[in-house]
Amino acid sequence: MTTKGEFLASIRAQMRTARDLFPASVAKRPEHPAAEADTIRRELAERWPAILERFRVEFERVGGVFYRVTSLDEVPAVVGRLAREREARGLVAWHAAALGADLAPALEARGLDVHEMPAGETAAAERERLRAITAGADVGLTGVDLAVAETGTLILVSGAGRPRSTSLLPPCHIAVFDRTALVESLGQVGVFLEAWHRDGAPPATGAVITFITGPSRTADIELTLTRGVHGPKEVHAIFVEQGIRG
Amino acid sequence: MSDGELAIPFRQRAGSALKDAFLQEALTIATTKFIDLRREAFEDFPEGEALRDRARAIKEATRQRLDHYLEALIANIERLGGHVHYAKTSEEARAIVVDIARRTGARMAVKSKSMATEEIHLNEALEHAGITPVETDLGEYIIQLAHERPSHIIAPAIHKTKGQVADLFGREFKRRVEADPEVLTKIARDELREKFLQADLGITGANFAVADTGTVVLVTNEGNGRMVTSLPRVHVAVMGVEKVVPSLTDLMVFLAILAKSATGQKLSVYTTLVRGPRRAEELEGPDEFHLVLLDNGRIAQLGGPLREALSCLRCGACLNVCPVYQQIGGHAYGYTYPGPIGILLTAMLEGPRSVRDLAHASSLCGACADACPVRIDIPRMLIALRREVDEKKIAPWVERVAFTLLARLLTRPALYRLAARSGRVLQRPFASEGTISRLPVFLNDWTRTRDLPAVAARTFQERWAAEQGRTQ
Repeated sequence: MTTKGEFLASIRAQMRTARDLFPASVAKRPEHPAAEADTIRRELAERWPAILERFRVEFERVGGVFYRVTSLDEVPAVVGRLAREREARGLVAWHAAALGADLAPALEARGLDVHEMPAGETAAAERERLRAITAGADVGLTGVDLAVAETGTLILVSGAGRPRSTSLLPPCHIAVFDRTALVESLGQVGVFLEAWHRDGAPPATGAVITFITGPSRTADIELTLTRGVHGPKEVHAIFVEQGIRG
Repeated sequence: MSDGELAIPFRQRAGSALKDAFLQEALTIATTKFIDLRREAFEDFPEGEALRDRARAIKEATRQRLDHYLEALIANIERLGGHVHYAKTSEEARAIVVDIARRTGARMAVKSKSMATEEIHLNEALEHAGITPVETDLGEYIIQLAHERPSHIIAPAIHKTKGQVADLFGREFKRRVEADPEVLTKIARDELREKFLQADLGITGANFAVADTGTVVLVTNEGNGRMVTSLPRVHVAVMGVEKVVPSLTDLMVFLAILAKSATGQKLSVYTTLVRGPRRAEELEGPDEFHLVLLDNGRIAQLGGPLREALSCLRCGACLNVCPVYQQIGGHAYGYTYPGPIGILLTAMLEGPRSVRDLAHASSLCGACADACPVRIDIPRMLIALRREVDEKKIAPWVERVAFTLLARLLTRPALYRLAARSGRVLQRPFASEGTISRLPVFLNDWTRTRDLPAVAARTFQERWAAEQGRTQ
């Protein structure tokens, strides 16, 4: 087998003979991404309604369903109605700390069978059990770390109490967010990603960051658009005007 | 297609594709639709042109310091608890993956769509080792059941009709299946969901890997990339060395143009950024993470004439706009990567001998270079490839002799005038109404599929001389 040393040496040997096609440089990275991310947040705080509207348009364009409620208290009613319409009972949810609110009692009061995901380290057997529950659930309820207006994208960071599977295995994904998650463009997303990696506080420390732009889809048979091939068939986003964490 | 079919010459493969009415219709529908979607996506995106320039510059700058960025990537992945492997050839890459599968006791591997694992023929090696590979991208799943190879980089089964897919599923699951994409997709979802939950090993490619963070990036629409990287207990990503990008900031430039070029989406449905194995506080994710860095002919081209092809994002845009691909589809090319960029990649991976005919499977119209999100100058390299095929005496001798003579003729005015005069006489038995439709003996290779314009009654030079005489 080739070793790392041999492999890199073969690259260097080629590069010594290589001429540049043209002078080129990589993208300029933000020097203090956390500070730049704060600036973006402050700037967006003043004109969030326009950004939210753009998000709604793009999110609906990719097949998402958008809701706007005044306060967190109204979220269980929206979720409950969606579940009733789909004759859904089993709901898996991110941990209350990750969602920013404990919605379980209100959801259970609406007849839902709620499984809240644990926030701490979990034994292998328990992880297996929770995976089976998630695979059998009808609805997955998550928070959102960034909502990108330009593309209608929801960005979710995995970690404690925020499993990847909640937004993946159930056929219906419902995400709850507020204006603190809103950003305008993919360029701004880059600043946040750099900040989370370098000098800012990431929302969580799991191994995966997922961008979700609408429901799972395929066009592999005669280019006919079909939804819900492996991931959720439906994605709903509920915007909470007054903010999730009060 | 199996490699055995490469025994059939390119001209015959292309010929059968041209006579396949199903394929012709499927190609027209698919390429037209992809072209429209891409155009609309960029029309709505004024900053797109500038981003394409930046993306091109990032790829070139990364190539210029590839050792540096790969070292950073390796160090970061190892710091995260992942393992990095180095494969000089496809044999080595296969052996590495099979070894990981054996060591971890894997019996089934779920795969998300990956051209790199197609390139190294990984599935055959896994099967040989007693491990069942399951393709989970719907298109790849279909062609795996059909024992075929992808015919398009991003839509691997575009050559199949829904009727053919229904027959295939019917045979596989021993029941009657309706030829409705919705029904067919549901069947695949149910079948594959079980496999995702059972599989021990997840195998992916990588659209990008970020040196600065050790992140491997997967772009999918179906969600299979997420399944494969979250559910099995081992994840192996196989990636060509050229896929590394320096930073997350660079990554965002590519994400902003990749899906627009491929399917006309602003972003594909899922972009998954994976950093190593499952963290202690997480419920799911693999216990082991492996990255296989693949050379397989790439490194030798880092300074070579085909190096610009290493910027390719595998979006498929150049296939859709190529008048040759539009006519013959992916299988006729005969190798893993079809279309204009595929010819260059085939030359890179398999050597110039493999593209003796393919180097000419282009009209050099330049549509590919216009469509390429990173503006790869494909026509320039195709011409360089033709020259190489000639200089290394790979081209047929008749062709080489004919073009050597033509070159002499075109660079010697006296000889040229003489040839024009004698051509006019010699062509008489063959020319009619200004064209020659059939040349004699071996020269008929040229006129088999096209007409040759006859030598004019008076050449331009003769007319020019006459005009000059009249005005003076």
